[in-house]
Amino acid sequence: MYAVFHPPNFPVQAASRTRPDLRKRPFALLHGDPPAEVVFAANKAARSLGIEIGMARLQAESFPGVVTLPRLLDHERSADTILNAIACTFSPRIEYVETHPGTYALDIQGMTSLYGDEVQLATKMRQRIMSAGLLANVAVSHNFHVALCLASRKSGVSIVPPGHEAVAMRDLDLGVLNLEPMHEQTLRSWGVRTCGELAAFPESDLIARIGQAGKRLHSLSRGDWSHLMFPIEPSFEESLVEHIELEFPVEILESLLFLLRRMTDVILDRAKSKARAIASLQLVLSLNGGKHHERIVRPALPLQDTATLLKLLQLDLETHPPSAAIVGLELRAQSAAPHRAQHGLFLPQAPEPGRLEVLLARMGKLLGEQRVGSPELIDDYRPTAFRMVPFAPPPPVRSATSSLPVSTALRISRPLQVIGVVLSGNRPTAVFWDRQKYVVRGCAGPWRVSGQWWSEAVWSREEWDVQLATGVAVRVCRIAFDPRSRSWYVQGTYD
Amino acid sequence: MSSASAIRLQVESKLAQRVPAALSLKIRQAPELFETGIAEVDAALNGGIPRGSITEVAGAASTGKTSFGLSAIAAITRSGAACAWIDVSDALSPESAAAAGIELKRLLWLRTTGERKQKVTDRPWSRLEQALKATDLLLQSGGFAAIVLDMSDVLPQHTIRIPLATWYRFRLAAEQARTALIFLSQAPCASSCAALALRCEPMCVRSFSSHGETALFESQNYTLVRERNRHGNSPFLQKKPSVRAEWSAETPWSRVR
Repeated sequence: MYAVFHPPNFPVQAASRTRPDLRKRPFALLHGDPPAEVVFAANKAARSLGIEIGMARLQAESFPGVVTLPRLLDHERSADTILNAIACTFSPRIEYVETHPGTYALDIQGMTSLYGDEVQLATKMRQRIMSAGLLANVAVSHNFHVALCLASRKSGVSIVPPGHEAVAMRDLDLGVLNLEPMHEQTLRSWGVRTCGELAAFPESDLIARIGQAGKRLHSLSRGDWSHLMFPIEPSFEESLVEHIELEFPVEILESLLFLLRRMTDVILDRAKSKARAIASLQLVLSLNGGKHHERIVRPALPLQDTATLLKLLQLDLETHPPSAAIVGLELRAQSAAPHRAQHGLFLPQAPEPGRLEVLLARMGKLLGEQRVGSPELIDDYRPTAFRMVPFAPPPPVRSATSSLPVSTALRISRPLQVIGVVLSGNRPTAVFWDRQKYVVRGCAGPWRVSGQWWSEAVWSREEWDVQLATGVAVRVCRIAFDPRSRSWYVQGTYD
Repeated sequence: MSSASAIRLQVESKLAQRVPAALSLKIRQAPELFETGIAEVDAALNGGIPRGSITEVAGAASTGKTSFGLSAIAAITRSGAACAWIDVSDALSPESAAAAGIELKRLLWLRTTGERKQKVTDRPWSRLEQALKATDLLLQSGGFAAIVLDMSDVLPQHTIRIPLATWYRFRLAAEQARTALIFLSQAPCASSCAALALRCEPMCVRSFSSHGETALFESQNYTLVRERNRHGNSPFLQKKPSVRAEWSAETPWSRVR
């Protein structure tokens, strides 16, 4: 069962609601950029004086006694908000009819126990709208389109008993069906003026003459064209926000965690109710002095676990603490479909995603965010060029065993250690490193490498692989000479 | 039921809360082993390094500890498992890791630092503290098939100061997490907590090859001595494995030649 209310001439009603003095005077609303403004809407008094829609501003102003006003969308928006609020009080399922401004369709199935029968409900609804300063027609029918057509054409309250839809539609003008100009012209040329006359046609003959649109028009005119309702629902993502103002500035993070836990719980419950998970959390802390401290926590995978999310927030705040005491908190969340994975008994061991997030956050706090992750080699001529990327192991897949021989590892000296080198015939013969003298037993080199000669970051060096001996111990190192700074240093040790 | 069985049952039921099945014979499971990727070492270790236990590799510089560690991690990451490398001296070369065959995306590299919170503390102990805490966190988190704690550049006088309780805790945590915990150090420090203790001996010096041209550092010979292998005394083993394993590692550029 649908109830539709339609405020006729909605822009005019919205304008006169804010200025009641206009109600008894003829006035027209102008729309468009000056000076090409045209009459967009006019009240009944103005229309009776000769004002027509689409008239130019100068034409409209030439009528004596007619007030011309610019159309203000804010007035229409505020009137629409009022109508929406009224519709929400009568039914939880409402739909905005976009073709008719200010018109709402309500699913009133089951609402009669609260508001009485259909007549009482429609009357109460109309009275409520009138008390808000607007006038609306209300129609109730089992068919959505019938209720809409009646509300847009018949003033007052119209109730259509079940099975009487065709009768109710019979005397309505064809214009209620929102015909396309081509079809309207065709039907007018046939002498069809009302819905009843259209419904009297055989359906198949109508389809044969004006195409598939004929089926819809015929069904609409008989009042049996079905409608799939799309109720207005509040934006889910916008609902994932929690805000708290504190009475006293708080400096200790631990006490904030109690509030954050409550806020995270509430947001997560909302997300879970829609079978969603939290993909990111944005925390905005209002600080004493008017500043804001904003942090965003993005788990690698959407989470549905409050403890993990809270731990990530805590670790992030401990790593990046706010600069002043906190006077307010706002937590915004972004939802995503929860992560699902097919586990296997025989798959290799892999860290659990939720735990791994917390672990990496803890490690970031302990060692520094740039010192935790996976190494990634950079396509660069400079040896040992790499960058750190976040650790995100791919799904466990067994790869082919390597047939390559075991490789010698080089242990890099970070930072580079400056050494003294004794040369003989341009080859190193002794090395002074860490207050100890090493004899060079064998050396290979020099390997000259350079790069970035076109920029200020130019680098070059001569590298040597040397066997350094002190007593019985022998170590193999890579030493290098930097011609720019004229210094020798240890690049690393082979181990 | 005989009186001995009755007494045994009575004792076991009394102790059930504290020690389950106190007097029953426990069947010890053969440990799961990870191959190290070095055939000679695997043969000496009777299959590889044990999972859920501590493996300690000790030796001086240039004795092949890092090459051994990288080779073992490479074999484990190739099996699809995730590994971690805790780098006390920030000395790991990603190029060497890639050359060893490690799937870098499966390797979590933790680089300790002496400069945190604007306070320069270049003492090795602060780095060691960070590394030990990181190891603790990794073991508690679980999910890593192998964790390498690289203390190769830390002097023995510092590693010896680590309390024994730490190693006991690590041993239990590694067992529960089913993680192969590998220590690389200059001198043994985990004592009896290590199920497998290996010693890297100073190499026999191999001169750089010249082939009549410029000398080139091509390969290195290493020796690994098995000091202790708690899981190695299997009654089913017919032939006792050798205590020493000699292996060689090549430089990446020698593969091109």
